Amino acid sequence: MLLRASGVTQNREYDLSAVTGAVEGDAGVPHSRLLVDFAEAVLGGDEAALTRARVALSEAIGPAGLADAAVDRVANATGIPLEAEKTAASADFRAALGVDRFDVAARV
Amino acid sequence: MSGLYGSSRVAIRDDLAKAHDRAWERIGRPGTWWDGAQRVAIAAETRHASACTPCRRRKEALSPAAIEGTHDSLGELSEVMVEVVHRVRNDPGRLSERWYRGVVAAGLSEEQYVEAVSVVAHIVAIDTMARGLGLDSLPLPRPQAGAPSRHRPVAAKSGGAWVPWLEPTDLSDAEADLYPTGRPAANIMKAMSLVPDEVRGFFDLVSHQYMPPLAMRDFSREYRAISHSQIELLAARVSALNQCLY
Repeated sequence: MLLRASGVTQNREYDLSAVTGAVEGDAGVPHSRLLVDFAEAVLGGDEAALTRARVALSEAIGPAGLADAAVDRVANATGIPLEAEKTAASADFRAALGVDRFDVAARV
Repeated sequence: MSGLYGSSRVAIRDDLAKAHDRAWERIGRPGTWWDGAQRVAIAAETRHASACTPCRRRKEALSPAAIEGTHDSLGELSEVMVEVVHRVRNDPGRLSERWYRGVVAAGLSEEQYVEAVSVVAHIVAIDTMARGLGLDSLPLPRPQAGAPSRHRPVAAKSGGAWVPWLEPTDLSDAEADLYPTGRPAANIMKAMSLVPDEVRGFFDLVSHQYMPPLAMRDFSREYRAISHSQIELLAARVSALNQCLY
């Protein structure tokens, strides 16, 4: 949701399907393909792919760290729901991206 | 640069390096429900879990319940704690309330569970950054002596999450600093409030490795070397890979 909010503020429309890895090209965010490749490589197990992604990203925008891998674990492990206002504001793209299946209430 | 990254071959932003120093010191210290040695053992098991063969097979299976067998563990923690550490570390997107109720029924208190989740999350955050930058994992901190404080906020109660939490209106003087002022407390801030020190500690780390809460929604300026939109694209892609709707 913050990604869309960022785009609205800057009068840009991002292709949010980049979030699910469905976009091959640029999603409207500068260096988006490199960023997505890097995120996937850090969480994956292919060391060569990670090295390539790191070098490519570093050459383009400099080194970056990922904190969200940990925030997700706190959210998933404590079973927190999405806040009501965020639920309403994100209904359209959650449905479009098919990410409602990740809702804690859907996990039994 | 001093502290944990004093000899690092990659320059780490000073405020971030200091946040990691503080996090490492906290992990080795007696917590609220676990002592220092137990917290470091949880941290060590978190790292060890990444190579657990049954976890890998479960992750590949349609349901984690489809694969039997015990975790590959270091043997320092109880069976139920090993289950918690491995599942939160390796397959968080398929945790369920039924599973959570099961680990509590097996003898883990809700407070111990929350503090363990926090230690796992600290290690994941710091180790993931090291992996992203191509650095070796930091040596774990040395445990400090002392007993856990065993402080449970009196007003903690069941809310929208599996675990009890503290609503902003229920904060006592001891927890008055827990949530940012000027906006409603997000559920992610309330998630670990059953153990207030873990909220303080984890969000000290998040504020430097990601952004402070108020900066997240301040699109009038950029706070990091990459833009809000680039940070949020990374965050959203990682959330999708971790099967996290939040």
